[in-house]
This record gives sequence, structure tokens and C-alpha cells, in this order.
Amino acid sequence: MDKKICPVRQTILFLTTLIGPKGLPDPKGQRISEQILVLVEEIAEGTAGEAHLPAIEDLVKEYNDARNPEQTRMAGMTIQGLLDDHLEIFINHIQTRNCPTHDCGKLAPSPCQMACPAGIDIPTYLALIAQGKDAEAIEVIRRDNPLPWVCGLICTRPCEMMCVRARIDKAISIKFLKAFAAERAMSGRAYTNPTPRPANGKKVCVVGAGPGGLSCAYYLALMGYGVRIIEALPVPGGMLMVGIPRYRLPGEVINREVAMIEALGVKIQYNTRLGRDVTKEELDREGFEAYCIAIGAHKAWTLGIEGEKDFSNVFEAVRFLRDVALGDHRCPGKNVVVVGGGNVAIDAARTSLRLGAERVIIAYRRTRDQMPADVEEVEQAEEEGIEFSFLTIPAAVKGEGQNIHALSCIKAELKAKQGSDRLAPVPIEGGEFEIRADAVISAIGQYVDNEGMDAFTGINWSRRGTIDVNHAHMETAQPGVFAAGDAVSGPATVIEAIGGGKRAADAIDRYLRKIPQPRAPRTPVRHKTEPVLEMTAHRKMTLEPPKMPMLNLYRRRTTFQQVELGYEEADVRQEAARCLRCDICRRCGKCVDICRDKMGINALKLGYLDFDESGPTDFRVTAENCITCGACAANCENNALKIDEKDGRRRLLLCGTILNSQAIRYCESCGAKLGSEEYTRFIAGKTRNMTPATKTRLLCNNCLRRNAAVSNAANSGALPMV
Amino acid sequence: MTFQRGDKIEIFQASTDDAWEDYMNDFIGCHGFIVDPDTSVNDPDALVEVSLEGKGTHRLPQDCMRRLGEQV
Repeated sequence: MDKKICPVRQTILFLTTLIGPKGLPDPKGQRISEQILVLVEEIAEGTAGEAHLPAIEDLVKEYNDARNPEQTRMAGMTIQGLLDDHLEIFINHIQTRNCPTHDCGKLAPSPCQMACPAGIDIPTYLALIAQGKDAEAIEVIRRDNPLPWVCGLICTRPCEMMCVRARIDKAISIKFLKAFAAERAMSGRAYTNPTPRPANGKKVCVVGAGPGGLSCAYYLALMGYGVRIIEALPVPGGMLMVGIPRYRLPGEVINREVAMIEALGVKIQYNTRLGRDVTKEELDREGFEAYCIAIGAHKAWTLGIEGEKDFSNVFEAVRFLRDVALGDHRCPGKNVVVVGGGNVAIDAARTSLRLGAERVIIAYRRTRDQMPADVEEVEQAEEEGIEFSFLTIPAAVKGEGQNIHALSCIKAELKAKQGSDRLAPVPIEGGEFEIRADAVISAIGQYVDNEGMDAFTGINWSRRGTIDVNHAHMETAQPGVFAAGDAVSGPATVIEAIGGGKRAADAIDRYLRKIPQPRAPRTPVRHKTEPVLEMTAHRKMTLEPPKMPMLNLYRRRTTFQQVELGYEEADVRQEAARCLRCDICRRCGKCVDICRDKMGINALKLGYLDFDESGPTDFRVTAENCITCGACAANCENNALKIDEKDGRRRLLLCGTILNSQAIRYCESCGAKLGSEEYTRFIAGKTRNMTPATKTRLLCNNCLRRNAAVSNAANSGALPMV
Repeated sequence: MTFQRGDKIEIFQASTDDAWEDYMNDFIGCHGFIVDPDTSVNDPDALVEVSLEGKGTHRLPQDCMRRLGEQV
């Protein structure tokens, strides 16, 4: 084994060989190695707690069972030796959360991967998509997210927010590339499940078939658990199916991805509400050993205004969207007013329009720039003809009998309350007005419906009405009961629910195998580094993100067809190739420092390296001053910068982008390689006092020295002049 | 302060909110962006989702963060 690398990293590499194809022969040895590997990886990542080392030592003792094969017992002795010899370093990793040699960060996640709540290895799958390997890309995504197609259409994409390319021009369109790859892989029947581990005989019950529950079920099934999902609705997907309209997320997409999860043996029991249709006692008796509560946040806040309860045409948006999703396509009214400013309000308004409403107005009590809805959603709603009434506070629903005539409102202005810099809408005196309406839809937020949850007597509820968990492992105060999704966060994002479900699955596995939980949420894992794609600096700088083709407006106003039609294949490949590969370049800036401060050349204009103070970047500028000396590459810890020689040229590449390419020259006397003209000139300039350059011949330093020696000797008379 | 999607923020102090967990102390001093501004509409008490440089995406109370002025 290599003694130079960090012992923690060394242990990880050794354990990885033990569980590989040429590893330990016995399943028990493999199992122990897998468990230790998880714990050592957490030590390397800085997410381990105090219980990790004692747990590893207990597991190592299991190797020594006399009934185990000799190879397994030998492996145990090797790991025990590593622990004994380097205990201080292991403890240091746990306490400081830092690897002094940086070996434990070699496969450090990129900012986009770190930003993804599910921790998807984005640069790897973008590199695969750029090469046309869509099915392999989906395989990479599904290591961390079982619903890539769904997320490719509706994710809130925190990854794009942290995309380093955005510091140069625009973020990579990560979301749409994922949808493209999923669609292609599914269409080509190449969207497949990984092989699950053999059944371990243990059963876990997941309550709720939304993104959090499905994610938890998927990863548990892959780990060999028998999983049943209890779902109150007659359809899978939770809010994906009954909250997000079909023009954003077709039902077939959800059904196909859920079918993949069911193909792993996950059973979904529809129309079954816990506490009403089945009790926890019954489930306990069936042998379920752990539970994951992922019931979502399906209850809506009401407006609390006069007349709200008096008319049947006042709806809660979540109920309205659910009814439409389950097949009720009646138009809510000719004139619809939606109250709220979030994505649910936009969805309710655009759905009303598609059902035949003549005029739809969104009434929001603040200003446009304070709307929490996605900018793209707001723009698309406006394109379709949705109107907005900002600074509008609803006051009463007016009408006669069962018919609504108007929503009475008050104009507001934003004012700071005493002791706060937060602007709040305050009614303007005399600002009363009415908006004509025959249907009013409230979309001012949702909360968790805790009906039926009293069976879980040991769980705590937060003051926000959500289930209280430790977010590092999603375990509630009741042992064996975990929770994920909106039930924990309140109404939040799909990718957050998926990430929470995955964390819960991991934690349930650890709970049932009695290994300690992590102290902090685990750092996303990278399994390998895809080779980079070569392209010129000019091409890397001038590639532009494609424009999304949209369904025509007439259809958008009348049907539930998907609005965003997806990129063309050529655009997808090109957009994926725009990625900077931040999984390889960690933006430490050493290359810039060395080129500028040590070499005095200053050829690298990489302003994007700094998160807080980004400057201008232009890969094309490097060629103006670079001498291909290779000092930057020699000091790049992660081999992001490389010097190579190809077709008689010396090239400098940054993650595949050719920053410079110069013709290699050779000594005219001995044929030794000299490097480029620029490099030779630079070296000659530095060494001219010691080895005077010849202007007539191109010579290497050795030949120059030899010539100079001969010349000096001849001048001094030591050698005869020829 | 109302946080908007894309606001650049700093975690400048530990929160006094119940939702603040021990491991979140590691985030103090980190910079990042607001990813999902509110679980309910413009509620100062709501938890907001932030992506922090080198620390990942987390949902945190608003009293631990302040805006740094930029928006993406």
C-alpha cells in the first residue's frame, strides 16, 4: 500500500478493494467491509461523530471470528493495524473535519453537486450527455435521485444557482438536459434499475407516495428491504401528481418513473389512509420494523375573510388542482381571481385558463419583485394572458345566493413596521375596490395534515406544525420512525423531498443494522471522474445556451399539453459540453498565483475562480502570453491543468479546454526537445548571462554550454583554433 | 428583511430558532444564495432554503442570515 497518502484515504481504498470483485470471498466479510467503509467515508468527509471510531473497532472485531476465511481475518488485521498506527490522524479528521494532506478531497464534489439537495453528481452526467451516453447519465443520476425525468421538468434547480459557469456568462441548463437524457433513455428502453441487494428479510413501511416517500422506498428496496407504501390518494406521486399541473409535468412521466420503483418490488397500497384504513398496530403486527412518514403538506390556509365560507365557488388551490388532476375538468368560472403570489397561485391561474375561464387575475398583496413564484412561471402566465393585481389585499367575497359577484379588495402600500426593515403591506385609506369574479381561489400556503399521525406517540411536532427530525438523518424522537419531504420542511421543493427521502433510507438502514448515524448531512459522493471533452478556448467561450422551444400560445390557453417542448439533440450535446467540470478544477487559484507571481507571466485570466469576488474570464486570452512552461500544471493538485504534446505542438489544457497550443522546436545540433519559441525565448532571457543565446542557430542549453566552453577554451589558447 | 430567490447571503450568526441544529454552527461565516425563499408566502418566521458555498443546500431560519447585496 502507498504509505504517502492519508491513512484515512488509504483505509477507504483498501476497503473498496475488499468489497470489489477480487475482494473478500465471504458475504459476512463483505458486509462488515461495507459498513466500515460508510463510516470511514464519513470520517474523510468530516461528517463523522464521536461514535464512529468505537463502532469501527467493534466491526473490525467481527473480522476475527475463527469461522471466517483466513483472507477475511487478514483484512481485519490490516484495518486494525491502520487504526492503531494512525489513530491520531483518524481522530484529527473527526475533530477538525479536515484532511491535512488533502487526499480525502481528491474526489471533492463540485458546487452544483454540493448545492443539489439530493447530491447528484452533475458534472459526471453532463459529460456523459455531451458524449451521447444518455442511459449512463441516467444511471449516474439515479444513484442519488430515483426521479430524474420528473426533476428534469420541474426542479427548482439550486444547482444552476451555484453553477460556476454563471460567473462567466450563463449557468448550464442542467435541469432540461436531465429531462432530455431521461426521455431518451426511457424511449430507448435503456432506463433500467440497478440490481438490488439480496432480500434481507426486513420490512419497512413508508407513509405517502410523494417524492420523499418514493425516494426512501427506492433506496431501501435497493438495499434489500421489503417496502410497502401506504398512500391515501388513488394515484402515486403525491403533490407531483395532484399539485403540479399536467402542462408542466405530464402524468405519464410520473407513472413511468414510479413503475420503475415498483419493479424493484416496492408495493404501493392506494386509497389507504393511516389511522382510518389501516392502523400502526396492524402494521407492527405484520412485521414492519421501521417507518418513514412522508405525508406531505396538503392542507391549505384559508383567507379568513368575510364571505369565504358562504359560497361554493371559493376554492382552496390545492383542492382545486387535486380535483383537476383526478379528472374534474369543470371550469371554475368565467372570471376567476386567484389570491396569492407563489407557484401554486400561478398553477391555479393557468389551470383555470385552460379549463375555459375568460379572465383570470392573480391578486397579490405585495409587489411583483416580491413574488415567491419562479420568474419563468410568472412570465409564462403573463404570456398566456393571466393578469396581475399587485398591492391588493382581499377583504371580502361579495355575491348573492350561491353566486359570487366580486372580490372586494383594498389597495396596499409597503411600509416598514417599527423595529423591522421588512416591508409589510398596509391598507391605504379609501383604497377599497372590487375585482369582478365568479370564482375565487385561495393559494396562500399549505400545512401538514396530521390526522392519523397520533399513532406515532413518540414523535415531536415543531411550532410550525411539521414533524421534528434531526436533519442529518431524518430520525424523529421516536426510535425507528423517520420522516421526509414536506411533512418535515413544510411545503418545499421536490428535490429537497427526494434528498430527504434518500437520507431517511440511509438512516433506516443504519438504524436496523445498529450503526451510528452521521453528525451532519453527508457530503455528496462522487464515484469516479469522467474524462474531459477537448475543445478550443474560442469554442468554450462562445457556446451559448439554447432557447427552449414552447408550445404555441393558442394551445397553451386551451389544452394541458406540455408547454416546454424540450431541446433539440444537437443543442443538448452542445449545452452539456459548456460545463466547466468543477469536479476536476477546484478553483484553488494556485495556477493563477504561480503564473503571475512566480513566473511573472500572468497569462491566466480566470476571474471566475473566486465565489465572492468574481472577475472577468476569457480562456482565449491565455494564448497571448502563455509560454507553455507547465508551471501551472505542475502545481495543479487535481490535474485540472495539463500540459501535453500532440502533433508536434505543446498544449495547455484546463479541464479539456485548450488554452494554448504552440509548435515544439528542436535543438539544431543534438535534436533535443526545446519547447515552443515563446518558451525558448523566455528561458534564454532568464539565462542569457550564463549561457549566451546564439542568434544564428536554435540550440539547447547543453549544446550552448558546450559551444561556449569550446569557444572560451579556444580564446584562452587551451585548444588549437580550427 | 424579505429574501428573494437569488439573493446572495451570509450566515452571520447562530439562530435562536428551534430549527437550528448543532451541525449548522459549521455554516457560520459561509456565503451562499437563497434558493427557495419561503415555505409560506413572505412569512418572516418561515425557513428558507439556501445553497452555501462548500456546505450544500439547507433550510434555515431567517434570523441567522443577512443579505450581501448581489442577486443572480
